[in-house]
Amino acid sequence: MVTGFRISSKKSMSLKNKLEEYLNPEYVYIPLVSGFDTNISVFVKKNDYVYKETMLGKRQGNFPIPLLSSVSGTVVGFEEKYYLNGEKIKCVVIQNDFKELVEKKEPVCDDITKISKDKFLDILKSNAIVGLGGANFPTFAKYDTDKQIKTLIVNAVECEPYITADYMLVIDHAEEILEGVNAILKINNISEAYITIKKTNTKMINAFNKYIGTFPNIKIYLMPNLYPMGWEKSIVKEVLKKSYERLPIEVNAVVNNVSTIYAIYESLKYNKPLISRIVTFTGEGLEKPINIKVKFGTLASEVIKKYCKYKNTNDLLFIAGGPMMGNSMKCDDLVITPNLNCVLVLPKLKQDEAIECLRCGLCVKYCPAKLAPVLIKNDCENPESLKKYEVNRCIDCGLCTYVCPSKIRVRDYVQKAKDTIRRENK
Amino acid sequence: MKTFETSKGPFLNSKNKTSKMMLHLFIALLPIIIFAFYKNGVIPYRAGLTDIKGLLLPLMVIILPALTSFATEMLYASIFLKTDALKYVKNSFSFYPGLFLGLIMPLNTPFSMLILGAFIATLVGKLLFGGFGNNIFNPALVGRIFIITAYAITFGKYAYHNSYELDTIASSTPLTNASIVEGIGSYNELVRPYGSLMNFFVGTVPGAVGETSALLCIIAFIYLTVTKTIKWRIPVFYVGTVFIMAFIIGLFNDLERTYSLFQILSGGLMFGAVFMATDPVTSPTTYVGQALYGISLGILTIVFRHLTPYPEGVLTSILTMNMLVFIIDKIGVKSRFELKKSIPYFSTLIVILLAISCYIGFSFHKSNNTEIDPNFEIYSKEVTGNTITYMVGQKGYSSTLKAKIVIKDDNVISYEVLEQNDSYYSKITQANYLNTLIENQTKLNEVDTIAGVTFTSNGLKKMLNYTLEDYKENGNEEIKGEVVIDKDFEVLEHNINGNVHEYIVSKKGFSSKLKLNITIIDNIITNVVVLEQNDSYYNKILESDYINYLINNQIKLENVDTVAGATITSSSLKQALIETLKIHMGDTNG
Repeated sequence: MVTGFRISSKKSMSLKNKLEEYLNPEYVYIPLVSGFDTNISVFVKKNDYVYKETMLGKRQGNFPIPLLSSVSGTVVGFEEKYYLNGEKIKCVVIQNDFKELVEKKEPVCDDITKISKDKFLDILKSNAIVGLGGANFPTFAKYDTDKQIKTLIVNAVECEPYITADYMLVIDHAEEILEGVNAILKINNISEAYITIKKTNTKMINAFNKYIGTFPNIKIYLMPNLYPMGWEKSIVKEVLKKSYERLPIEVNAVVNNVSTIYAIYESLKYNKPLISRIVTFTGEGLEKPINIKVKFGTLASEVIKKYCKYKNTNDLLFIAGGPMMGNSMKCDDLVITPNLNCVLVLPKLKQDEAIECLRCGLCVKYCPAKLAPVLIKNDCENPESLKKYEVNRCIDCGLCTYVCPSKIRVRDYVQKAKDTIRRENK
Repeated sequence: MKTFETSKGPFLNSKNKTSKMMLHLFIALLPIIIFAFYKNGVIPYRAGLTDIKGLLLPLMVIILPALTSFATEMLYASIFLKTDALKYVKNSFSFYPGLFLGLIMPLNTPFSMLILGAFIATLVGKLLFGGFGNNIFNPALVGRIFIITAYAITFGKYAYHNSYELDTIASSTPLTNASIVEGIGSYNELVRPYGSLMNFFVGTVPGAVGETSALLCIIAFIYLTVTKTIKWRIPVFYVGTVFIMAFIIGLFNDLERTYSLFQILSGGLMFGAVFMATDPVTSPTTYVGQALYGISLGILTIVFRHLTPYPEGVLTSILTMNMLVFIIDKIGVKSRFELKKSIPYFSTLIVILLAISCYIGFSFHKSNNTEIDPNFEIYSKEVTGNTITYMVGQKGYSSTLKAKIVIKDDNVISYEVLEQNDSYYSKITQANYLNTLIENQTKLNEVDTIAGVTFTSNGLKKMLNYTLEDYKENGNEEIKGEVVIDKDFEVLEHNINGNVHEYIVSKKGFSSKLKLNITIIDNIITNVVVLEQNDSYYNKILESDYINYLINNQIKLENVDTVAGATITSSSLKQALIETLKIHMGDTNG
């Protein structure tokens, strides 16, 4: 049984306004980070001229993902900006010359289903395709495996409240996405694909249904309207009725976010690297919630200033990410990165004072990672007893805090337990 | 650039609230409290068996300890914790230990005991552990066990009975009764004294104030499960285990279905399973833990009920298992990642469950001798030569039969019913049932009961049977005693004035005596005046002008209908006229 909790979606807010584009910021700030890995080799220095899509740096180690410039212009230096985890991070600052100059590229392949597997991996790697669902995991690595991939699962669940970025993309690009899925199936010799969509999301279902007849190997799989149904493990469990320990490939499956699929499609079809994405700017703290296509390295503050506007109140929270898993930021100098799907501005919410835990077991019942948060909480500073609780399985979904009737910030205790274990292992 | 205060996620609040869960709990308890009031207060009051104090007694037994708990926490918070006492009690749901304690106490518990019990439940069971959420044991049960040990008494046989039950049920609570019968007992011994299993299900059997109705507990269970207030696995596994074990025990004694139902429907098992075993603070949080906990509770309850002298097992089982919650949860955590890790624990419990059921089933053989029914009583026994006169009584479910039985030369020669209250008693007379019994006194088991008056005819049969048994065993040992026979019909006055006869008669009515003034002129009833009655539905009699109807139909009174809604009273009125006429005819003829 897959566990989850129904949370009111609040998605309509950002759907009231049409999709915007903001692709010409004066400066972009490309953070020297990939996921949470800051071991980046930097290839540019101050005053260098860079074309759009030029490699500014590259992640070291097993996942050599390039960092690309999202504009053409001059490197004016290095500056620290806020990353979505709330920390400051060093960024390459490029002044846009608004020429969108691109270095010469290989010609585009006409039939993308005919691309060889090696070429496919190369394209994904060189075009910096990473997971857009939030994990930022290099996509080529998922396909670069000796194991037979039997199922491709496309994650279009978008289970966190407020966020509609994937939805916006699908509404306009359902056909391309299906073509992309089809190409991936052919190239990797995968027999079937499932597009997982919340069963309540009829518009998205309809968008796919319009074209899906052409692709007999692609099926739509309806998911229960629960949070966190979009978690990889929950999806695999729901679709394939199988559990895995670390990666879906253990059960011969690959899971890609629907936006990632579109990025793959664009890279295969047009050799277009991943340098922009749709981000949902929403929340009760904004005058005009929108979805907007922005280049990586754009500052969130600029977008809000130009498009959304803060509501005239002082008690706002600025959150990088969704309401469940996002981080509250000190400052709106936040750089847009592939793993940022949402910027949420909320009025400071009244948090009820926590009372004693009554051991109702709701956090245990709903924990998608099968942890026992209430017991972890009691032992969160005791590394010995924490061992058996396998705290590191926690995915920070925040459901334990959300469901707690005593209003205890359960996730904070679980995170504290993670820290305890980390300290112990050092 | 704009700066913000930071906070920690998630940034959404759910509607889940402990206070809401506690409210659900209270809503679920409400019908149970109302039923406790109805069964233990309203019914005896309406039957005229108790006064206003008795009417309110059940509510007092529930409210008094609840208030005590509240007061205890208030005092504790303001004196020892020096915090905002009102806020403290609000967040610790202070009423509950006392409320639950009240619901599991006998009706006739002295108030002082209730107050002290609730005080201990709250202080020792809850506050000294660190207050709400930190206690290991169920506070209400701590209070209950304190009362049992500190007062060092088992409550008297009738502590649980309300005055109505006192009148109609001679046995103590079903489980105490079951513990004194030989073996596991038979249907007649376990269930009959209380009516049928339906009475157990609905809750009209003697027991603690709030725990007799299995039906209401099941309704509460459904409500609490739907509202996600309780850990539903615990009651399901608990009751299920008791059912299966009792079924196996019953199998050895040809009583499988009755015995399993009897076990799950008595002794507050349902109440304990739904409300006490699921107390969130003192029960496991993991699914596997909850299942193991429920099964263990079931096994312990069966063990305590059968193998210890204390007949009630729910309370002790829960307190015992409370101590093990910590370990059970550890097993639960391990099994969450790999369910198969729980298999050894479940298998062990199942083996224990089967072994204990078989052991109890074997060792408790069904009793074959007819145990003297606790509802049977010999009031007196007089010996004159070879004639022995018994005055005996047999309590039935809704009335007491009293009779005079004369034995001469080892044979019953006369069987006379002195008191009964069955509105269909005429069927017994019509069938000449008493004579049938006398004729078949050596093979009473073969005598059938009479349809429509099964209960009374069975009672009459039993009464004769028990009397004969006593005669066989004790011969002519005299028993001195006085029988207070409540005469069913009596002529109190008879005035004659020429051919005008005035009778003042009394006749048993619904809940009291009817007193009538009947005027007969020339063998014809000309006037009937009701002097006394106490039936709350008497207006139905008046509305239908029943008395005039009787007068108009006096030549065929036997065939006159009764009044719906006031059946007993109307039937009594009718009988009074019939009997008065009979006496009048006898008088004037002789």
